[in-house]
Amino acid sequence: MIVSAILLAGLYATMSYGLALIYGVMKIVNLAHAGVMMWAAYVAFILIVHLGANPFLVPILIAPVFFVFGVLLQRYVVQRVMGAPPISSLLLLFGVWLIMQNISYLVFSGDTKAVTTKYTLMTFQISGISISINRLVVFIVGVLALVVLRQFLGHTYMGKAIRATAQDKEASKLAGINTERVMETAFGIGTALASLAGSLMALIFAFDPDFGRSHLLKGFCIVVLGGLESMIGVALGALVLALAEALSVLWLMPALQDFVSFALLVIVLIVMPGGMKELVDRLIRP
Amino acid sequence: MSRSWKLWVGGPVLAFLVLIPFLELQGGYLQTLGFLTFLYITMSTAWNILGGYAGQTSFGHATFYGLGAYTTCILTLRGIPALLTIPVAGMIASLYGLLWGYPCLRLRGQYFAIATIGVGEATRLLMLNLDDLIKNNSLLKGFLQKGVLTGGATGLMLPTPPDIQAYATAFYYGVMGLMFFALFVSWRVKNGKFGLGLFAINMDMDAAETVGVNTTRYKILALMLSAFLVGISGSIYAQYVFYIDPQTVFGFPMSIAMVLMPIIGGIGTLIGPVLGAVFYIVVQDRILTANLNLGLIKLSLSSLHLLVYGGLLVLIILFEPKGLLGVHHRFNIWWNKRKRRSLAATEKA
Amino acid sequence: MAILLEGRKVSRNFGGLAALLNVNFQVRSGEIVGLIGPNGAGKTTLFRCITGVHPPTFGRILFKGEDISKLMPHHICVMGITNTHQVVKPFPEMTVLDNVRVGAFFGKGWVRGEVKDATQEALRVLEFTGLTSKANFLARNLTLPDRKRLEVARALATRPELLLLDEVVAGLNPTEVDRMIRLIQQLRESGITIFMVEHVMRAVLSVSDRLIVLNFGEKIAEGPPDEVARNPQVIEAYLGKNYASGKSHYA
Repeated sequence: MIVSAILLAGLYATMSYGLALIYGVMKIVNLAHAGVMMWAAYVAFILIVHLGANPFLVPILIAPVFFVFGVLLQRYVVQRVMGAPPISSLLLLFGVWLIMQNISYLVFSGDTKAVTTKYTLMTFQISGISISINRLVVFIVGVLALVVLRQFLGHTYMGKAIRATAQDKEASKLAGINTERVMETAFGIGTALASLAGSLMALIFAFDPDFGRSHLLKGFCIVVLGGLESMIGVALGALVLALAEALSVLWLMPALQDFVSFALLVIVLIVMPGGMKELVDRLIRP
Repeated sequence: MSRSWKLWVGGPVLAFLVLIPFLELQGGYLQTLGFLTFLYITMSTAWNILGGYAGQTSFGHATFYGLGAYTTCILTLRGIPALLTIPVAGMIASLYGLLWGYPCLRLRGQYFAIATIGVGEATRLLMLNLDDLIKNNSLLKGFLQKGVLTGGATGLMLPTPPDIQAYATAFYYGVMGLMFFALFVSWRVKNGKFGLGLFAINMDMDAAETVGVNTTRYKILALMLSAFLVGISGSIYAQYVFYIDPQTVFGFPMSIAMVLMPIIGGIGTLIGPVLGAVFYIVVQDRILTANLNLGLIKLSLSSLHLLVYGGLLVLIILFEPKGLLGVHHRFNIWWNKRKRRSLAATEKA
Repeated sequence: MAILLEGRKVSRNFGGLAALLNVNFQVRSGEIVGLIGPNGAGKTTLFRCITGVHPPTFGRILFKGEDISKLMPHHICVMGITNTHQVVKPFPEMTVLDNVRVGAFFGKGWVRGEVKDATQEALRVLEFTGLTSKANFLARNLTLPDRKRLEVARALATRPELLLLDEVVAGLNPTEVDRMIRLIQQLRESGITIFMVEHVMRAVLSVSDRLIVLNFGEKIAEGPPDEVARNPQVIEAYLGKNYASGKSHYA
């Protein structure tokens, strides 16, 4: 149980870090994240089930495509409301999400789809714990993506520019950083991470065009828990949420699993808007 | 000139709306459509008090609608007259608004919006599983009647009255009255002290606070007022259709509808939410029944309406923040300019 | 003169960083008190402590003998203290008249519920501040000097006994500075006590009865303007060698 929670946390972290990145750089809450995850799930479904692609390679193939999608979305749509109050960008991306959802309804109908491959039911045993290979690989791909991203943010010009812009946009602009390009890149990476998470999720969960909403909320919960800027925070937040879910299945009813994470979102937002970091700070320095 | 124009159009439209039940056109089709339109105008107007005037975007208003509907059903099934449950439904919705509004309204802008999505979804899941939860708790078991309180995913059913025609007509007028009541409330709020405070909060919360607006109290009052009207709408809906379940009345699409209507029509205005609601219902009604034939491909457009709203939402945010009202206003300016130009041209000639 | 506002050991920390440390001050009825100090000295922080936006971490603030250090800003406003913001904060999509009406409706002497009375009060204030001709403009279309006036007008409409002005003169050209100084003097004549933060020395020296000087969150001097201007500690901390050598462009 705990092991599968940890494996799930890896996936959650991938999904949430995309949100955190976009929020960090642009102060935008990207509701279209859910739409991207859902589309990625469908694309993965087509590639794997209809075209027989290797299920574990598909996410890596999809991500660059969605990167471009994210860059275009930022350049031609979101950029236009950057000066307006933040709530309009939230509503705008909400509209984009609605459109994406309904295109899927049109194309794929509302039926629930699931990707089953030869790996789906395979497990192996380590000291009495059975681990699903599927989930393990999903975990590994997710964590790998985060590690690569961390290297990118730490060691390239663009990565440093992204971090600078997240800290102070005006100052970065004055320092000669092309902040518009930075925002496009950040939005692209965020979208790519969402697509990665979405296509990985397609391997584990069943999905329909409404897929992604509950995951999006979980993503917010994780991002707020982990604090908005740090990757380690996000990873910890993902772990906390995955464990809370696992425990809620154990102690409450399985049906209330999502209830627990949504309630957690609201409580966390209200009680500790600074995330766990703030809580730790408060405990250390009363 | 414009006043008399409004009277000439408004009068007959109102008369027509009042007379619909007597005309019995198309076997009650228009009456049902009218009922829904009035109901949605009420909700759209109610959402606008919080979302438009005070600027607090709530994605959780379905909780009030659902709670209103469930309050009425639960009380009616326990022998309380249905009409008496209407104010109770409003009050319970309002109290629930206080319950989650008090903590959530401390959050600003986007954070409030996200928290309301969380509240809405959490409430829906709770209602879905409430019966099972109560069953496992010896203290609360007394609330169950024949093992049922909310009926879980299957929902609740009300008995149908004998004369369904007269019943429906009575509700048609009832909800029309409710709509005018909501519009009256909205108008009073907009032109009074309360509305001025809410607008100030919407524009700049800190500045509002320093000139003496009790921002916390005002936001909560706006939420409670809004919740009250939506709760009543839910109650009336339940009595009109005799059947409710959590997915319909607590579902996210319900919350979305309440966000979309005022924004499409013109957020923060009195008439905007009305326009938005009418547009919403008409589009939904037309599209739900339409099919598109593209030679070989035959598409059912039944789920296309959200695509229309989503697209419209994007366009409105990008180009015309005041929605359909703003478009109308622009058209007026353009039209007047054209008229003036043609006048000048004739004078020259 | 009676003491209107009194601060006792007012301190404010931001995440372990002391922005204000044990500041004692008094403002008497009918005075104009200037609060000066270099950038980051804690002037605006002190104002925020008084108005309740950032309540003091330690210490107390008394208004007419009543402790107000734990009250909400709107409550403090209704008691009779209002401020203007350093970075002007008009309600952008509202008309100038409506901006001021918010103050008239919600401030200290709010006229019971009557829209008409609040409007009349607002019009009176607009007349006083010279904004009548722009009553129906949207606030976002105003020029900076007019926005600063609007900021004062809105605060005035709440009928304060004590008005905190945070850099209302900064950014104005000399003619506008003179107009604003005249307005401030008129305010005092109408019985309002004024506590003002100001960087433009000409303005603050000419209208203030008394100056309080902050540096790094602590009070370093207090007294009549000419006396403070001669205080060596002040000259060193704030006015700099420029002023000491007599070549000041401030005075």
